[in-house]
Amino acid sequence: MKTNLFIFGFTSLLLASCSNNDSETANPDSALNKEILTNTSVNVITATYSELYNNSVALTTACQNLSIGDEAELTAVKNAWVATRAPWEKSEGFLYGPVDTEGIDPAIDSWPVDVNAINNILNSSQAITSTLLENDDARGFHTIEYFIWGLSGNKTASELTTRELEYLVAAAQNLQSKTQQLYYGWLQSQGNFANNFVNAGQSGSIYTSQKDALLELVEGIIIISDEVATGKIETPLNGNNGAASPQDEESRFSNNSKLDFANNIRSIQNIYLGDFASIEGKGLTDLVASKNATTDANIKAKITEAISAIEAIPGTFTDAIFNHRSAVQNAQQKVAELKVVLESQLQPLISNL
Amino acid sequence: MNSPLKYFACLVLTALFFSCSDNESESAYEDLPSLNDRLMAGGETTVFLTSSNSFSTPAPNLSASDLSDHLAGDVDFEAIFVTAPASINQGLGTIFNNSSCVSCHPRDGRAAFPTNLNAKSGFFFRVSLPGQLENGGSIPVPGFGTQIQNQAIFGYQPEGKFQVTFQDVVEVFADGTQVILKKPNYSLIDTYIPFPGNALISPRIGSPVFGLGLLEAITEEDILQNQDIYDVNADGISGKANYVFDAVSGTIQLGRFGWKANTATILEQCAGAYNGDMGITSYLKPIETGFGQTNGEDGLGDDPELPDAILHQVAAYCKTLAVPAPRNLTHQTVRRGAKIFEEIQCAKCHIPKMKTGHASISALANQTIFPYSDLLLHDMGEGLADHRPDFLADGNEWKTRPLWGIGLTQVVNGHTHFLHDGRAKNITEAILWHGGEALSAKNKFKQLPAQDRAALLEFINSL
Repeated sequence: MKTNLFIFGFTSLLLASCSNNDSETANPDSALNKEILTNTSVNVITATYSELYNNSVALTTACQNLSIGDEAELTAVKNAWVATRAPWEKSEGFLYGPVDTEGIDPAIDSWPVDVNAINNILNSSQAITSTLLENDDARGFHTIEYFIWGLSGNKTASELTTRELEYLVAAAQNLQSKTQQLYYGWLQSQGNFANNFVNAGQSGSIYTSQKDALLELVEGIIIISDEVATGKIETPLNGNNGAASPQDEESRFSNNSKLDFANNIRSIQNIYLGDFASIEGKGLTDLVASKNATTDANIKAKITEAISAIEAIPGTFTDAIFNHRSAVQNAQQKVAELKVVLESQLQPLISNL
Repeated sequence: MNSPLKYFACLVLTALFFSCSDNESESAYEDLPSLNDRLMAGGETTVFLTSSNSFSTPAPNLSASDLSDHLAGDVDFEAIFVTAPASINQGLGTIFNNSSCVSCHPRDGRAAFPTNLNAKSGFFFRVSLPGQLENGGSIPVPGFGTQIQNQAIFGYQPEGKFQVTFQDVVEVFADGTQVILKKPNYSLIDTYIPFPGNALISPRIGSPVFGLGLLEAITEEDILQNQDIYDVNADGISGKANYVFDAVSGTIQLGRFGWKANTATILEQCAGAYNGDMGITSYLKPIETGFGQTNGEDGLGDDPELPDAILHQVAAYCKTLAVPAPRNLTHQTVRRGAKIFEEIQCAKCHIPKMKTGHASISALANQTIFPYSDLLLHDMGEGLADHRPDFLADGNEWKTRPLWGIGLTQVVNGHTHFLHDGRAKNITEAILWHGGEALSAKNKFKQLPAQDRAALLEFINSL
């Protein structure tokens, strides 16, 4: 998983190993660290998953309401898909914990779409249920996307078949169950993975210090910045020996890629600021600002520039990788600059705490 | 890219380290080993991470072109394969165990013992008929081969389903503390054709993939130096090298990889995994794992499915993942634990220090490393025995697992399931499963007071 990062700030680990391991209480930042770790894990991460789950419930309902030929309801399903997709993309700055250890990522976001598997399931005589899909990669966001937009993005409700509707509902139900599992994995009254952050450095947490937990947050946002720049944008833009490779674009049926990328950067923003929806809590920014106001301002500026540059790409991403390549390159450049500032300024600062 | 910078960083670090170790030694009041020289567990490939990414970064000393191969291989390692024909990542199955490399080696680490044995996971059975092939290899079971694929693309039938029941085994420490081990009893059910009653079944679980290039670069001579097949030194431990048929060279070579050291090279290990685990053919393993089976052929004639470049990139990736540094080496408890590790003879097989020789990837050459393994086979006793021979490994023998990174398993993979099938739920259980040549070490562990056991665990968890 990742990149040639994490080389800048590692000296401090060493220093920590020399110092007394009971020094957490003596750390003047420990109260602020706890606030940051609590707010970020509960009010940002768990809240993002809560929204993901709630929106997936609405997506299931919309799919259940859909019938052949009902164009208005198909639009509602598409809107519900986009609304569910958003918190998922806003969660990709923190792909650790249950999303990984419980195998939820591949269940939710498997890509590419296994069209042959889908057709074989459709053509079979088996009832298509969430359980049937449970052990298959032919489920999740992109399978649902394929059903409601079609391979060329222009599918109409009159083209839907009864079997497709059956599959669509099953896939939505499966997505809902996975997003619930993910949300509950973090929720304090359930799996409480958040506790590892809230009580970092204490027994019961997998992080042996608050700094280790803060570094997990930092590495998570570095990784997604790298992924957007060198993977999600780079491969479709240049994957065909330096020319566009449209089949490598992840959300191409729905033309949702630009929003996906922008929401990935918002994931970074949410973690860094400690904000989500109406919550404005303590985030990494508060710690960074107290140490180095210039670095803090830099990071915030690079986040904003990256989002703006992605949103400034004209038209669809599929079209832009052929016809507006400089705009795509500019967005890629801005995301790469964000990655550099996170990796060369943020990470060393936290490592050297 | 910025490898000069990285190299510089390593130097800074070493300097720092020594400056602090000096202080420590002044205050040492007990005769404890210094662990300072073990910090760079992977030599110059070492990274200093304690997060869920601890197994997942490239070695910091790679050349620009080796780093480029690594990053390409990283993408391949995560690629999910789909039913052929498709424009991307085609060729899954027809029968398989999982659909990507990373799904069995999550975060380049260790797969958990699955809660549902027949969901896609990092767990499967190796099988064979009693006896061995002329070249020493296991005898494939007709219609099943040497590995059971319990998944299939839609419309095809898996070879069978895995089943397990558990039996309690009670272990009691000298201080009266009890640990109840769960001894698994495996069987294969719901097979697509009858499964021979005399066939041998041996479970496997996906293991971490970092540091493998270093293990490949240890000289054969150095590994053989620790071999003592007839226990001439009468210490009860008789390490034995496996010699295996190597598909890359077509010759018999020293086995280094796999739970029974039945594979000589990382390249073959990768090709074998693509073929056996995912049903993806390559130039090294061009025949579908289900060839000749009613559930095994898609009739597409598209083999080999995997471009040669991708196989090589993935092998390069597995060779060049960085080794995480140990933590807390200067802590008194960790140092006491290290002393106990020597005293009760864990270190006889989990040999701390090795060195690498020549390597085609320059970053891996001539490194002093601390894998805590002799890469040799040992009789581990009846409790762990699979009774399934594999080249020179008999039914009681397993290869010593490296211990580097083991203390980061929880943070990386969210569990601490160890041993070849993930049966041990923590390090204590893993130690208690040791038998055979390790029985004496295990019994000494059981005699330790709680405080010493805790120190030993703290040392192992520092790795």
